[in-house]
Order: sequence, then C-alpha cells, then structure tokens
Amino acid sequence: MPSVKFDGASSAPDAAPAVLLNRVRFTYRGVDSRALDAITLAQRAGEAVAIVGPSAAGKSTLAKCLNRIIPDFENGSLEGTVEIGGRKLWDWRVCDVAPLVGMVFQDFESQLFASNAASEVAFAMEQRGLERAEMEPRVRAALQAVGLAGFEGRDPATLSGGEKQRLAIAAVMVLRPRVIVLDEPTTDLDPQGRAELFALIDDLRAQGLTLVIIEHDLEALRGCDRIILLRAGEIVADAAPVDLMTQVGLLERCGVRPADLDRLCERLGISPHARNLAQAEAAIRDKFGAPAADHRSCPTGLQVSGAITSSSAKAPGAKGAAGDPTDAAPQGSDGAAGPPLVEVRELSYAYQRGRPALESVSLAIREREFVAIVGPNGSGKSTLAKHIAGLARCAKGEVTLLGRDRAGYAPAESARVVGFVFQNPDHQIFAATVEDEVAFGPRNFGLPKDEVARRVESVLRAVGLEALRGKDPFLLGKGERQRLAVAAALALKPRLLLLDEPTTGLDYLEQRRMMDLLAGLNRDGAAIAIITHTPWLVAAYARRVVMMREGRKIFDGAVREFFARQQLLADSSFRLPEVTALGLRLGLVALSVDELAELIEGRG
Amino acid sequence: MPIYLYLDRATALHRLHPGVKILALFTIFWSIYWLDQPLALAPIGAILLLAAQYSGSWSNFYRLRWLLLLIMFFTAAVWVIFYRQGSPLLMLGPFPISRASLEFGFGRAFKLAELIAATILFLSTTRVEEFAYGLTWMGMPHRIGFAVTLAFRLAPLFIDSALDVVAAQKLRGHDFSRGGPIARMRGYAPVMVPVFMGALRKANNMAMALEARGFGHTNRPTSLVEYRFRPADWLGVLALSALGAGSFLAYLLGYGAINVGE
Repeated sequence: MPSVKFDGASSAPDAAPAVLLNRVRFTYRGVDSRALDAITLAQRAGEAVAIVGPSAAGKSTLAKCLNRIIPDFENGSLEGTVEIGGRKLWDWRVCDVAPLVGMVFQDFESQLFASNAASEVAFAMEQRGLERAEMEPRVRAALQAVGLAGFEGRDPATLSGGEKQRLAIAAVMVLRPRVIVLDEPTTDLDPQGRAELFALIDDLRAQGLTLVIIEHDLEALRGCDRIILLRAGEIVADAAPVDLMTQVGLLERCGVRPADLDRLCERLGISPHARNLAQAEAAIRDKFGAPAADHRSCPTGLQVSGAITSSSAKAPGAKGAAGDPTDAAPQGSDGAAGPPLVEVRELSYAYQRGRPALESVSLAIREREFVAIVGPNGSGKSTLAKHIAGLARCAKGEVTLLGRDRAGYAPAESARVVGFVFQNPDHQIFAATVEDEVAFGPRNFGLPKDEVARRVESVLRAVGLEALRGKDPFLLGKGERQRLAVAAALALKPRLLLLDEPTTGLDYLEQRRMMDLLAGLNRDGAAIAIITHTPWLVAAYARRVVMMREGRKIFDGAVREFFARQQLLADSSFRLPEVTALGLRLGLVALSVDELAELIEGRG
Repeated sequence: MPIYLYLDRATALHRLHPGVKILALFTIFWSIYWLDQPLALAPIGAILLLAAQYSGSWSNFYRLRWLLLLIMFFTAAVWVIFYRQGSPLLMLGPFPISRASLEFGFGRAFKLAELIAATILFLSTTRVEEFAYGLTWMGMPHRIGFAVTLAFRLAPLFIDSALDVVAAQKLRGHDFSRGGPIARMRGYAPVMVPVFMGALRKANNMAMALEARGFGHTNRPTSLVEYRFRPADWLGVLALSALGAGSFLAYLLGYGAINVGE
C-alpha cells in the first residue's frame, strides 16, 4: 500500500488535548451497573491510543461517547464532560461532530451505503454542503491515502472485507476530523484484510492522525503510543505498550490475551521483554546458547534449519488443546478412526454466472477429528461447509455421509451425522427461553417429550448455560448466544459438528471458553470442523488443517506441518502465531508458548 | 455477486437527469394504470423492451426471470379462470373461458410484468444517490427522500439474511409447510423473529453510521455528481408527457378497455 500523506489530515497539535474525558459515567437504561465509571483521560493530538479489555468492559461505550452516539442513540444517563480539541460536546448532534471525530464501525456492511466508492467517500462532504470543486480532489486524496486509488467507480459490495474497511476509513477521514475512532475494525476480516488494515493504521499514525483503536489483538498494537486497559467500565491501566504488554498476569486476569512474545519472555525469565521476533531470537540464543548449525527433522518430517535442541515437540499446552497429530497421514489425526463420516469427492460449484466457488475439492472427515478449515474470504470455505451441511446441492462431484449420497438423507437423519452452526447465532435464535431454543430441533424431529427434556438438560450442562435455561436468549451476551447455537446443534446429537467462524466477535475468554467446549466435545468422541481466521486457535486446538484458496484445496494435513509451510502461509496472507514464527526462526515447530518454552529449556 | 441492480453503463438512459428518470417511472405506472387490453399495453411493453436493449439491462431481467414468469403465469391463470364477463368460448372444467376473460387475464399479467420491468429498468439505470437526489429535486424533504432510497439499499441485505435464517431453521428440522393455516403462520416465527431482530439491529447500526458521517447536518446537501438538465431531458419530458396523455386519452376513448359485449 502506498504511503500517501492525506492532505490536511494531520492537524497541527493544539494546546488543548485532542480528546479529554473528565469523570465520564454512563449507565444504560434498565441496567444497574455502570458501563463507564468515572473515566478520565487525555489524549494528545497525533497520539495513537489503543483500548483493550474483555467484553462489557466499556470499550465501545467509551468510543460512542466521543462522537455523541451516546447519548443520542443509546438510552441511559451520562455524566461528566467530553471535549474534542478543547470543545465541549454538550449539546452537539452526532451529525455535527463528524468534522471533529470520525468513527469506523466493526460491521462494514452497515456503514457502506453508496453505489460506488467515490460517492461513499463524498457522502460526508455532501452532508456538510461542500462545493463539488472542493470535493473531487479530497475524494481522490482520501482514496489514495487508504490505498484505493483507482477504485472510484467500484461498487463497495464487490470489495473484499479489508478494502471495505479501508473505504470506510477514507469515508470518515475525508472530513479531516481531529480524531478517528476505530471500533474493532478487524473483527470480521480475514488475515489478508487484517494485514491491509493494520498497514493502513500504521500509515495513518505516521501521518500524525489522532487515533483511538479498539482491538483485541495486542500483538498488532505494539506501535501505538499508549494502551488503555478497561475492565467493568474502569481504567485498570494506562501505559505505553512496552509497559502494559509485559504485565502478562494482569492482562490474563482482565481477560485480555497477552502477546505470545511477552508470555514466552515471562516464562523464560527474559527481561526486558523482547519487542519483536529478532530481539526474542537474539535473547533466547544469548540465554540458552547458540544452536548447532545442523538441520533437524521437525515432527512433520520437514527440515528446519538452526534448531536449538533436538527434542521432539509435544502437544500444545492449552487446555483441551490438540496432542501430537499422526503427522504421516494428512487425513489422520490422533484419535481419528474408522470410515469417513463425511466424504467430499471432486466437488465443483459456481454461483450464478460467477467464478467457480469450488473446483474439484475432495476431502474426508473421520470420527474424532478436529479440523480447521482456513483460507481468505471468498476462498470457498463456507460453500464447502454448506455442501457438507446439505444447504447447497452438488452441481458436480459428490458428498456422502457415512458412505451414502447426502442427497438421499432425510433432514432428521442427516442431523444425526452433521450439525452446522452458523457464524451469526442471531440467525437462528427466536424462542422465548434458552431451553425452548435448544428443544426446538429435537421437537421438530418428533422426539418424545422426556427425551427432549433429557437432551436439553444434557447439552445445556455441556455448554455451561444450565443456570440460564429460563432466560430470554436475546438478553444473553454474544459468547453465550454462540454457545446456545452450539447447544441447539448438539441437541440433535451429530457425530460431526461443523462451525462457521464460531469465535468471531468474542473476546479472549469467550474464545477460550468456546474452543475448550469444542475440545471437550471432541474428547468425548465428536468430530469437530471449524472455519476460522484466527491462527492461534488453529495452533492451539486443531489437529488437522484444510486450507482453501480460490475454490481449491491447497493444503490438507497436520497442523504442525501446516505451520512449517512458510511460503504457503505467506502466499495466503495467513499470519503465523508469534510463537510459531519465533520457533521457526529457532528451527522448531511449536504450536504454543508452553511447548516452545519446554523445547528451549531442553525439556521437550 | 453485486447485491444492487444498478449497471454502470454510459447510455443516454443512464445519463438522463434523475428527476426525469423518476418522472419516467411514474409516467409508465400512470400509463399502465389506464389500460387493460393486452394490445393497448403492447406499445408500452415494446418501449420497455427497447429501453432494456438500449440500456444493456438484460442481465437484470435474466436474474429476475423466474419472478417475472411466475407472476405472469399465475396472474394470467387466475384471472382467465375467475373473470366471468363475456360469452364463453370454451369450458375449462367448471370454468367458462371467454375472449374477455382471456384478454383480461393476459392484460393483468402484462400489466404486472410491465410494472416490474419498468422498476427493473429504473434501478438498472439509476444509482441510489441519483434516486435520492431526484426525490429531493422534486421537492421531497431530504430525510424522507433518503429514507425511501435506504429501503432499496437495505432490501438485498435483508434478503441475504433471511435466506440464512431459513437455512438455519431447516437444518433444525423446521418444516414450513406443516399443519393448517394457523400452524403455518406460527411456523414462520422462527424465521420472522431473527430476520426482524437482525433488521432492527442493522437499521440501527446504519443510522449510527449515517449520522456519524454527518447525515442530517443540512436539509440541502450538495452532490459530488453534477446533474444538469440537458436538452435530452426536455425531450424525455415531452415524450413522457405524450405517453401519459396518450394512454389517458386512449382510456377516455375506450381503446384500452376490455370489450365484454361480444
């Protein structure tokens, strides 16, 4: 992406802070606890401040206070003062704050509404009544600044996720606001989109824009000037990244996933913590001795140079994480057994008049496997999943369940083989209570009342929602709703549970909880297949990886082998977890911090 | 796949002033309203076919072909059977079929098809921004005009989401065709509730995003694209006036009506 300075975007630092919050409190109507509790903070012009914290910490609430979405769109009581560039926003309307604060939201589908990129960017200026002669150069400059020069006539609906978010940023920065707020802008993006967006954020920082970034991924925030850690509406810490990220225990207690490098340095007693892979590698070699320059065979049989020790890798340390895969057989991972539950043979599919979504894909999933299906957006992952789930008809090729053509299965019969959980749990929730929601499937399939009750009881316990059985599902948090969707699928007792991005939009603790749940089900005998964009989840939980690109299966094998294929991952913009990347520099294929630490300490 | 119908082409129809395009849509609706006879509707159909060819909009007609064909087929079938005017030519079971019922049935089918075709043409040649501009230009308050066009922007998103909801509930064994009328109506709750809740959430998110980008600051926004009223637009207005007046005159003179006296 070209580094283009957006004319006028960088405002000269004023004497007044760019953002000043003074004892800001906000309580949502009908809720007892405060979403924000006496928040006081000042941000200098040109500073990039990241806000991290678990769900319900108040991150988005804080962001919405900056441009008057709170209190204009959210009912509740707001106290304290918010100043932008020295101006108090007491009686301002949201639309009047736009030239001061630009806001980019998580959901890019809801914030793009024009028929082409130029109109999208011009929208804010049109609403301010700017003359056409002034708008045209600013549209061009804004699109160039986000790396979308030449996209003026493109329909936003045809852009990739990363391009959409960059367009959304151009659409707010065109008014040259003093502050740009990015509220979890990477949540719905694939690795390529995330990489594009973080490159842009770095570029905006270099231009001196004042940024407020809400994000879960600490590793991506090392370049910020400050990180603010929120919990239960209060600021727990406000420090430079180097100071906060090293507080591994505090971050974990607050439900924030510490960066791999910091966890490893903490574990190995390396101080000060390394700030990047090169520093970490040097510090480890310094402390634990230089490795022999010979080659060693990693567990996959791949040759990795510069190994530090010669011990074989162990299973990742995460709770419920995968053990060593049976690396020799791509289809086989430990525990996988028997004939395939699902078999896809030479499957091809194209949406109406479109590029093929799937091209000759073959795949088998066996009992007790834990498979991660990865790949960029549009690579065919969801289309493949829909064929397995029976939501799309095979145009060419074949899908079989337990050796029988999938098309011949009645819904009740196939539900006992494959359960499918959509990415958005809100696409299925409708019942008045949690238990009714779970009971819906079994009742539809005509199970007797006592059997339905038994299954509801059992799956609610399995997903940890038994205490909420009488609650309205719409009042649950996102993580709980996601677990409810899993429960609803589990109630039909499928032998394979297929989940489309089950951790999207969840914080670290909820992600862990969801994945531990799946790992537990897997230990109990269910095969699990998840579509995901999150590298550390793949490393920590999956035993086999299927990678898709442009409708083709380009990798199918053990997770350890997958992470050793650096060229393949780079070509697919799939970012390695920091710990795995560091391990490879040291000549090791490690999937978790504990595993790499043990290998380095010579105990592996 | 693009979710909107707009097709970016450089034809004279695309270049017409947004106000004229809205006037064209209204005039075609107006003209169709006064005519029942298939033959009387034929010139309008011919105009629409020529416009589809000229504007390169066939791909959108192809996308919506089943909707068009189903509506035409069922409309024609229902009215041919239940329109009870005129002398019977033949019996279709217990139903007498007359020349008038045939004309009326096919006339209704053509009417609906032409209404849909005119809308497809309008959306194929008009950006949502032009639509909003045209409504404001014609005197509609900006907020209302924008809200009208917002419905067109949101509809494809809601349809996508509804399809996902239907798929999710089918996987859980939900059968939409089970039971009597009341049970069936109840059976739509598992779809309507998530779709409705999702629509509310999306509409709220979009409202926030709109206002956060300054929507509502002024009632007279400017436009990046310059819409000039050119000679071709005057020509269009004249042609549309002639069409509107002609069809009304045809109605007054009884040319567009079904003759039940035979």
